[in-house]
Amino acid sequence: MSAAGIPVLETPRLRLRAPRSGDFEPYCGFWTSERSVWEDGPLTRVQAWKEFASAAGLWALRGYGAWSVEDRATGAYLGEAGLFQPVHYPEPDIGWMVVAGAEGKGIAHEAALAVRDWCYNVRGLRLLMSYIDPRNARSIRLAERLGAIRDDTAPLPEGEYCIAFRHPAPGTTPGQGAPA
Amino acid sequence: MHPIPTLMTARLTLRAPRVEDFEPFAAFLASDRAEMERGRQDRDGAWLHFSSAVSGWVLRGYGAFSVTDRRTGGYLGEAGVFREHNYPEPELGWMVVPEAEGKGIAFEAARAVRDWAYDALGLTTLVSYIAPENARSVRLAERLGAARDDAAPRPWADRLAYRHPGPEALA
Repeated sequence: MSAAGIPVLETPRLRLRAPRSGDFEPYCGFWTSERSVWEDGPLTRVQAWKEFASAAGLWALRGYGAWSVEDRATGAYLGEAGLFQPVHYPEPDIGWMVVAGAEGKGIAHEAALAVRDWCYNVRGLRLLMSYIDPRNARSIRLAERLGAIRDDTAPLPEGEYCIAFRHPAPGTTPGQGAPA
Repeated sequence: MHPIPTLMTARLTLRAPRVEDFEPFAAFLASDRAEMERGRQDRDGAWLHFSSAVSGWVLRGYGAFSVTDRRTGGYLGEAGVFREHNYPEPELGWMVVPEAEGKGIAFEAARAVRDWAYDALGLTTLVSYIAPENARSVRLAERLGAARDDAAPRPWADRLAYRHPGPEALA
């Protein structure tokens, strides 16, 4: 990636911006809690740092990665959303996480939509997946609300217990980019 | 994200890490040689290690360089300035693949990174955290002029801290 930097995405309630080291504490709060059980958690603090840093480092390796999601009005850290592709993911994955106090308000939906629009309209990607633990009912509902369809024929990340959801292609839903 | 410079030495090009550098990096971490670098890692663990080392370019303004043969472009290892969540201060670190050992590659790379950190970043000191049984890395730290600093806070109790000479001492 060039030095072009990590874009800032704004939605009615949210600002998605480059991760900062100060975001690690609230991030770690999620990953060391029981709420992360469907994301291979809970993790130790050391493991949580690796995940946090890895998602940030993706920007340098792939030209996409994690944004920190903050409250547009207060600047408070609400969670993480972004495009992830560790080495064992067959396709890029839209992922999200919100801290405990930000649940149930559509924050993850709003953030994931902004990420997806950027992936299609700015980054020019054509195929986006979300790999989700089948027991993670909340994330499955959100994927469906985003219009993603379960795709049992899609290759899965090796060694992970998950199912694949395929996001609607660019141009097939309103506001999702130009027709292919 | 901070721009990642390219550093040139007599034999090496230190450049931004790329996804294709992961395979030789992972091979190193899967080998016995990784025992003293916080243990052998499977592929997923190696990816976390590799990609998180790059994160400093987003989070801190410094991070990992891939060390390559200036002539052939072949991957020889990694060197950089690192600061994980529990590091009291920035660390100068290095790793070379087995084929590149014993040729002064890590020395040449580490020195280039150290000089860059002082000249371009304006850092005034650097440490390296090294397992005491890692005799090869201890020797390299000493060859770089670093001295054991038992007063320095350390991220892990079982590591030694080596303090590198500062920019004034090197001038």
